[in-house]
Amino acid sequence: MTLLIGAMTIGLILSLLALGVYLSFRIFNFPDITAEGSITLGAALSAILLVKHVNPVLATAAGFVAGALAGSLTGVLHTKFKIHGLLSGILVMTALYSVNLHVMGKSNVPLLSETTLLTYVEKMTVKIFGGAARFSAFGWEINRQDATVLVAALFGISVIGFVLYLFFRTNLGTSMRATGDNPSMIRALGVSVDAMIILGLALSNGLIALSGALLAQYQGFADVQMGIGMVVWGLASVIIGEALVGVSSLGLLIVGAVMGSILFRLLVAIALRWGLNPNDLKLITAFFVFSALVLPGFLKKFKLRTG
Amino acid sequence: MLQVRAITKTFYPGTPNEVQALRNVDLTLEDGGFVIVLGTNGSGKTTLLNAVAGTFFVDHGNISLDGKNITRWPEHRRAKLIGRVFQNPFSGTAPNMSIAENLALAAGRGRSRGLGWALNANLRKEMRDRIRSLNMGLEDRLDNAIGTLSGGQRQALTLLMASWLKPSLLLLDEHTAALDPKSADQVIRLSQQIISRQKQTTLMVTHSMQQAVNLGDRIIMMHRGQILHDLQGAERGRIRVEDLLARFDDIRRREQLDPSVAEMLRRNYV
Repeated sequence: MTLLIGAMTIGLILSLLALGVYLSFRIFNFPDITAEGSITLGAALSAILLVKHVNPVLATAAGFVAGALAGSLTGVLHTKFKIHGLLSGILVMTALYSVNLHVMGKSNVPLLSETTLLTYVEKMTVKIFGGAARFSAFGWEINRQDATVLVAALFGISVIGFVLYLFFRTNLGTSMRATGDNPSMIRALGVSVDAMIILGLALSNGLIALSGALLAQYQGFADVQMGIGMVVWGLASVIIGEALVGVSSLGLLIVGAVMGSILFRLLVAIALRWGLNPNDLKLITAFFVFSALVLPGFLKKFKLRTG
Repeated sequence: MLQVRAITKTFYPGTPNEVQALRNVDLTLEDGGFVIVLGTNGSGKTTLLNAVAGTFFVDHGNISLDGKNITRWPEHRRAKLIGRVFQNPFSGTAPNMSIAENLALAAGRGRSRGLGWALNANLRKEMRDRIRSLNMGLEDRLDNAIGTLSGGQRQALTLLMASWLKPSLLLLDEHTAALDPKSADQVIRLSQQIISRQKQTTLMVTHSMQQAVNLGDRIIMMHRGQILHDLQGAERGRIRVEDLLARFDDIRRREQLDPSVAEMLRRNYV
């Protein structure tokens, strides 16, 4: 049970990554690889601030802001310097690797003895439940601490998801969506497509870095390598989410991305439990995303040929 | 009032593909004027429209609209003054967004986009009223994605969007060329309605001589990046489709003559 709760919590935290990837890949149709650098940036910056005893809320927010800056940099490279979108992301991601090392001063920053958001949740747990460290529900022994963290994460992510949904219904948010849907149309209606792309990538990478900041606090360390493969993981979550809710309304797609991220983490946890070699995880995820991208078209062709 | 002064545009300069798309074009369009631009393929009529819309910057010359010099304004800034309908019915609307959201984007044309709600009850009511005037039964489908509509319906909505806030200038770029005859007819009638009701200053490019004769109060014929004929006033009143065709034949004949004459002159004198 601890394993499942842990997987769900990480899934919730990484659902911010999924939302960020959804924003850049699906809404803007922009293959943004910056994510691999910005998730580490968020983790690194918030970790180093926590080590310096900065308030955890501020440290986490700083992670978001740093990620947003990184994203807007990718946007500027793409729109103002006319560099291909994929390459802009790769450039910023590569540069961020050095930046992250400088921020942390070493390749790994442990957080086990620092005051983090997790400490707040712990205090809250004691306040609500009092002494007992374990309780049983549905016939399972559940670690009280794990359960509260899960509930807190669920609450936090729900709030962020809802705010995002509201944002996409404002004038600015609809203009952003239209920028991805039909740039020539929104330009003809007086919106600067460049500004929308820069702002959108800032928001996307801000969410991704926030995800990194929360992940570092949950797992108790920030590591310079933690971003590797994250884009593909985020994409896998988005694809699973779309399969769950179908490509329909905006609100459902946001919920879908969160659910996709949780389900993906659960699948990974179960696969590892069944003896999957952790080294193969990225290979299998890449293969999964590949088949999810190719299979629908392939099946259609197959149907046409036989039917 | 639109004033185009001696604008020039050359694409791919200095390469074998060099095209002089606009050569020293002058055009003044009074407020409330409805001008039809005719021309053969590659004559520069769409280029002229795009130059005014700001799709690219002209090499030389000036463009001013409403007394403002917009020559160096980027496209999205000009959109505050200019409404546009494209040839491709898919270019003017965002397919994955609802009819209401598309119209809401148009209702904010040229304004800065803040964090206010894109849609509200008042705006929805106004949308329903205006869409009802299209007679397409779309007023009850405000929340349907635009991608589910036909080309004609999408073009009618684009027209409604371009004119939602009365622009200083409406640009119509062969906006019925990609539609079936029935939808084309419907969109043309709608264009006429909007233009006459709003006394809308309009620049319209078309291939159809019939449309040119039936619509508008002035006809401009372009060829090779220049304005060859500017028919207005009484002359415009008398013009018929046959006259326009005759003028195009003229152009074509001169076209055929030019290279052979040049060749003869070369042989005799060089």
